[in-house]
Amino acid sequence: MNSKFKLSLVSLASVALLGVGLSQTVNAQDDQIAGGEEVEVVFWHAMNDAHQDWLVEATEEFNSLHDNVTVVLENQGNYGALSQSLLASVRSNTAPTISQAYGEWMLDYEANDQLVDLTDFIENGFDEEEPYEDIFEVFREDNTFGDAVYGLPFNKSTRVLFVNNDLLEEVGVEAPETWDDLLSVSETVYEEAGVIGFGFENGLQHEFPMWVKQAGGEFVDEENNEVLFNSEEGLKALTFINDLINSDFGRIAGEDEYLSGPFTTGDVAMYIGSSAGIPFVENDAGDMNWTTAPVPTDVEAAAPFQGTNITMFASATEGEQEAAFEYMKFLVNGENTVSWAQTTGYLPVRESALESEEWTSYVEENEVFAAPASQFDIGFIEERVPGAFAMKNAMQTSLESMIYEGLDPETTLEEMSQAAQDEIDRAQ
Amino acid sequence: MKPLSKTFIYTFLIIGSLLMLLPFVWMLLTSIKPSFEVRVMPPIWIPSEFRFDNYLIAFEVAPFATYFMNSMIVTVLSTIGELMTTILAAYAFAKVQFFGKNVLFAILIATMMIPGEMLLIPNFVTLANFQWIDQYEALIIPWLASIFSIFLLRQFFKSVPDELGYAARIDGCTDWRYLWQVMVPIAMPAIITITLLKAIGSWNAFLWPLIVTNSTNMRTLPVGLTAFTSEAGTNYELLMAASAMIILPMIILFVFLQRYIISGVSRSGLKG
Amino acid sequence: MKQKSHIKGWLYVLPALVILAIFTLYPIYKSVVMAFYTDYDFFNDIVYAYGFDNFIYLWEDPLFHRALRNTFIYVLGVVPVSIILSLAIAMALNTKINFKPLFRMIYFIPFVTSVVAVSIVWRWIFHGDYGLMNYFLGLVGIDPIRWLTDPNWNMPALIILSIWKGLGYNIIIFLAGLQMVNTQYYHAAQIDGANTWQRFLNVTLPQLAPMTFFISIISIINAFKVFDEVYALFNDRPGVANSALTVVYYMYNKFYGEWDFGVASAAALVLFIIIFIFTMIQMYIGSKRVTY
Repeated sequence: MNSKFKLSLVSLASVALLGVGLSQTVNAQDDQIAGGEEVEVVFWHAMNDAHQDWLVEATEEFNSLHDNVTVVLENQGNYGALSQSLLASVRSNTAPTISQAYGEWMLDYEANDQLVDLTDFIENGFDEEEPYEDIFEVFREDNTFGDAVYGLPFNKSTRVLFVNNDLLEEVGVEAPETWDDLLSVSETVYEEAGVIGFGFENGLQHEFPMWVKQAGGEFVDEENNEVLFNSEEGLKALTFINDLINSDFGRIAGEDEYLSGPFTTGDVAMYIGSSAGIPFVENDAGDMNWTTAPVPTDVEAAAPFQGTNITMFASATEGEQEAAFEYMKFLVNGENTVSWAQTTGYLPVRESALESEEWTSYVEENEVFAAPASQFDIGFIEERVPGAFAMKNAMQTSLESMIYEGLDPETTLEEMSQAAQDEIDRAQ
Repeated sequence: MKPLSKTFIYTFLIIGSLLMLLPFVWMLLTSIKPSFEVRVMPPIWIPSEFRFDNYLIAFEVAPFATYFMNSMIVTVLSTIGELMTTILAAYAFAKVQFFGKNVLFAILIATMMIPGEMLLIPNFVTLANFQWIDQYEALIIPWLASIFSIFLLRQFFKSVPDELGYAARIDGCTDWRYLWQVMVPIAMPAIITITLLKAIGSWNAFLWPLIVTNSTNMRTLPVGLTAFTSEAGTNYELLMAASAMIILPMIILFVFLQRYIISGVSRSGLKG
Repeated sequence: MKQKSHIKGWLYVLPALVILAIFTLYPIYKSVVMAFYTDYDFFNDIVYAYGFDNFIYLWEDPLFHRALRNTFIYVLGVVPVSIILSLAIAMALNTKINFKPLFRMIYFIPFVTSVVAVSIVWRWIFHGDYGLMNYFLGLVGIDPIRWLTDPNWNMPALIILSIWKGLGYNIIIFLAGLQMVNTQYYHAAQIDGANTWQRFLNVTLPQLAPMTFFISIISIINAFKVFDEVYALFNDRPGVANSALTVVYYMYNKFYGEWDFGVASAAALVLFIIIFIFTMIQMYIGSKRVTY
């Protein structure tokens, strides 16, 4: 990745877009949050580069709109560090006001009464033009625990296939639509152009549920906290992944950490990655002709929604809660969710935003944004189970044994499901 | 000694020294390279242009100024604090007779064999109950006393002849003044050693600050550096610049005061 | 100034004692107790039940076995090589050469630098495609090694880093010991016509044996506490497929990753027992043989 830091047009564009957002929302804001008392809202996040730049701009805008409220951003580096710091802070009564969090993390905090139920805020806090129900149901559900709502969606991504059009045209093939296509296209690219056809990002434990579902299987049962992927379909998915990595025309990111690097230097023709990687690829791609396509499918079509919500901790005072909620709402208002999506490759979280003129015309001009948004009807959110952190760690170990030590898929699947089930059971 | 074997010894030592220094040299060279000269094979040793602004970029991308300040505050305060408690306790153990002294000293010495890692979890719980997590208190207060330092200084104090004390007493000198005006100056080499070992340890400490800090503005340099790796990604020139910021101050300190540090280390080794 | 002065004595030790009581003595007791927590709520600090479950868990956990095994492999990889190298360098430094302080300083530098920072430097050196290590290996015709992504090479990478880092410490201690080697024996041996190697074998080595033993024990104890290197070298992970998972890393994962305080405390207790055994051996032999 040739200097992620020389952030280019992307961040400039975001500033410009925010400017538009600002001018339109400035009058609509009520300045009397928390009765005018001075409040500070601490927001822990794990956003970097272009993502962080947008967030900083948006937060500055929010702060300038509300004299008595200061939202302070604290970058925790990555999700792993964020998760650990959150647990530590909750345990030691030093939790931030709000934080990015996955549904499964919220499950843990909720079980210990650490979160604020947002139901009342939601009932009274949303405008009629942009109601809560405008947020996609799948995202609302991810934040709903029984009768309570513990968060609002923020950065929601999906996985897409990144395609180097130059290379595919050179060897005369189309972007793959099925698993079989994926194999044959990768092989052709490798044989004709001498370039590795397809790559997996690291951290396959997070992508594995998608492959299992595409093969027609199930990942886990959220109701009974039971691992379901030790099945024929699971084996099919794992074997497919293993064969592809071990073939001459497939690879895994490994030491490169992210495939956006090798992809933009033309060392790998296709890879499946987060739509939030779009700005990074765009930044480094130069003259390369590339696009995104929906993930190839097998028996079923399935694409995961990933990324976090923003949740609020019970240690916050009433004033802080009120201000924080205003901020959470602000980040996903119609203007911002579109501007955010345009800058970062995350998805707009509102139905109205997805249909808005602003978004549709943008997608027409920038076709790389079309594929992510087209996957709403096949999108799923991973089931929430207790002990998810430990479960994913255990899965990673098994997967690495397969990828780097040559353990066969049958044994790997057996081990992986056993380890995953153990961790879920232990967490209950 | 024959010239041949002397040549051999020099060659051996020089090659060894180069190997010891190479990582630091490579770090410094990488830290001033333009990014396009970093990930290349064969490696480019001397950059075509010196990009010292890599250091500035690292400072902009992550709040290294804050991390640096935190490391300074923690190192200075915990070193001064430890020095105070150590001097007092070492003096009492060496020169004052009091009830239970030997038992107490034996207990303290016995705890030296407990690995600090074992105390991590209960200490975390204690600090959480004190509401000190993510505060300077957590980074400093648990480290304000060290049995090892007390032991080291006590040995030194003990070697000071008692006659000196008797003479001082006759001159009307109080115990307190005797400690600070006679004993401490005599023990200065040992005190400097303790100070330096403590400062180095404190500056480089990682696991404890990692666990007790949560927010960005409480991190020390080593913790900030590991957090920075996810932001820097594969920009090794920035990572090396950030690493150099942690490494260089200690090397400079060491080069100027190595006598004290090395004597302290050899003494600690010999304590048996 | 020997004097009976109970109150004064206690007042002098009080500041240190308060800190040590809270952060060293109490946690020793507490960490033992916590190892027997089997049912507890860490959010609210309530214990419902005690028992041996945590130890049974460790006994059955393949990951913990792996951590123990890795730690032993690490010890076997680091300690002998480090001792041989540092003894050789110390002996070279102990001859009549120029620039002795300079050499000594250079070898000692790694010891005063941050483990985390130098590990990140080494991560760059070990890079599979662009690392210096593979470049040098390439010069002598060895194919690139995936130090950081091949589980079989994670441990060797960690061992190389640790030897480099710890060499200076051992050299300093050997130097101190060498200075106490009684040179009278040398002259006697020289008169007997012994060559350098024989002198080393028959005179120096026996005198250095207690010192070598001491360094071995210290190295072993330190090796059991390895954490920072692993964390920084492999980017917040215990190597690929847990190939560099050490006992302290296991403890850290259980404690800070999974918030399983009971199992983590039990692992800490096991760690202590292992270290305690080595310390006892050291003290036993030390009291018999180390005479200086």
